[in-house]
Amino acid sequence: MTALLEVSNLSCAFGALKAVDEVSFSVREGELLGLIGPNGAGKSTVYNLIAGAIKPTSGRIVYKGRVITGWKPFEAARSGVARTFQIPKPYGLLSVIDNVALSALLHDVTVAAARETAEAVITDVGLADVMEAPVSILTVGQLKRLEVARALALRPNLILFDEIMAGLTRPEVMSMTELVASLPSRGMTVVWVEHVLYAIMQAAPRIMVLDRGRVLADGIPEEVARDPAVIKAYLGEEMSLA
Amino acid sequence: MPERGSISLFEVVLFGVCLTLVAVPVPHFYQDVMIVTFIWAGVALAWNIAGGYVGLISFGHAAFFAIGAYTSTILGVRYGVTPWIGIWIGALLAAALGTTLALIGARLRGPFFILSTLAAAEVVRIAALNWTSLTGGAEGIWIAPVPNAVNMVFASRTTYVAVMLGYVAAVYAIAKTLEGSRYGLRMFAVRDDEDAASAAGVNPLLVRAGAMTISAFLTAIGGSLFAQYFQYLDPTHVASPELSFQFALLPALGGLGTAIGPLLGSFIIMPVSELLRSYLGAVFQGLHLAIFGGFLIVVMLYFPDGLAGALKRLGLGRSKGPP
Repeated sequence: MTALLEVSNLSCAFGALKAVDEVSFSVREGELLGLIGPNGAGKSTVYNLIAGAIKPTSGRIVYKGRVITGWKPFEAARSGVARTFQIPKPYGLLSVIDNVALSALLHDVTVAAARETAEAVITDVGLADVMEAPVSILTVGQLKRLEVARALALRPNLILFDEIMAGLTRPEVMSMTELVASLPSRGMTVVWVEHVLYAIMQAAPRIMVLDRGRVLADGIPEEVARDPAVIKAYLGEEMSLA
Repeated sequence: MPERGSISLFEVVLFGVCLTLVAVPVPHFYQDVMIVTFIWAGVALAWNIAGGYVGLISFGHAAFFAIGAYTSTILGVRYGVTPWIGIWIGALLAAALGTTLALIGARLRGPFFILSTLAAAEVVRIAALNWTSLTGGAEGIWIAPVPNAVNMVFASRTTYVAVMLGYVAAVYAIAKTLEGSRYGLRMFAVRDDEDAASAAGVNPLLVRAGAMTISAFLTAIGGSLFAQYFQYLDPTHVASPELSFQFALLPALGGLGTAIGPLLGSFIIMPVSELLRSYLGAVFQGLHLAIFGGFLIVVMLYFPDGLAGALKRLGLGRSKGPP
């Protein structure tokens, strides 16, 4: 199996705080990897490092066989890496469709074509009824789905989801989980950070746990959920998979 | 909602009215008002490409205006280069300064970028004031008032009005085209959230530099045209900070981010301020400025999205009924 993404000994320190400390993992082409861990574990920092938003203190990131450590966010996007933001970052004065069309412009040449792509993606994430609305009227849950739509419209190879379920109702979580789980079959590799555990534990065949900047566990959901260290750090004594 | 970048009936009618005003005989004073209004509207539209589309608020656009005015005039008066060519050289020089400012200020945001543009314009003003051998310093430069189409000096004011209308129409068309294009969408995205735009594959620095370049280029053309009409230029007339503030104020009052905003702002505010000045200036020195200031405060307080936004709400409210 070839690794699409290979992270080795990645570290990132903010002053004395080691947000990410010697993290190594790899993601295979077509995999769906769940990434969990308590707040401040370094999940979003790992994303920022891979997507080029910040530069690592040390370590190496290899994507598609190329060392891409320290690249810029737009270079990451152009090479096929999409990410969502944990705190949604919509283009506040644009409509929903234009928010997504901008991403589609990465591959589409005309605005009209980009809007067509955007329409399909928006329908996929369940925002069809607010297609032409300004983003200022969206709820938190809708903004999360807008983030997903913008990432999908880039038609990436690797997609990094950051807590896309927060603020969604349970039925919405179900349909979104289905969508995420279907992405590998559509040629996308997914890394997914999530606090809504029932969703991620059910959909991701492999779960990695981060705690205080380090990889605490990495395996199938059942194993990870039974790991005493994981239970102590994150899940709590009463965690069950139900 | 109409497609962004498409032309509305309102715009067609407005253009028709402007054309009519050019064609019919109007007293000289009103023609002067129209000339100034058209030039300022063109520059306000150009300013909006940087300030409204990409969010690069500039208090230094007088620098580009001055570079345009001085370049075409110096080339024409000293070296006999026709302004028809000099205009483009001035525009290219200003564009180069615009690119440079965007690149130097790459890491500056908000007030810090604004201050950098203000400083750049001051550098240009002081250079114009002190580089006497080139610019004539505080005494300025005269363009001989001898009508000659090659020198872009016309006998009839009507010709000037027509040229200026051509200028504002061209800048408007460029702004509109940008608005509906993929470059426009990228500009709006960079303005609204740079990190998100970058994560979508857009290089924010390139977008900012591009917008400043276009904006500076178009502003400089306005400067050259103003010099040709006024036939005299000195640093106070074409390079002062007041001018920069005016260029920023017109789009801000009219409405940022759309082409119609700066146009409405200029078409309403310029004639009003010119008329106030001419009628009240003689009666009570400074009264026109007080009235003008009060008007600005009212617009800013009650129409935060500008006159264009206010008109749009009025129109939507009428056609749509209850939401």
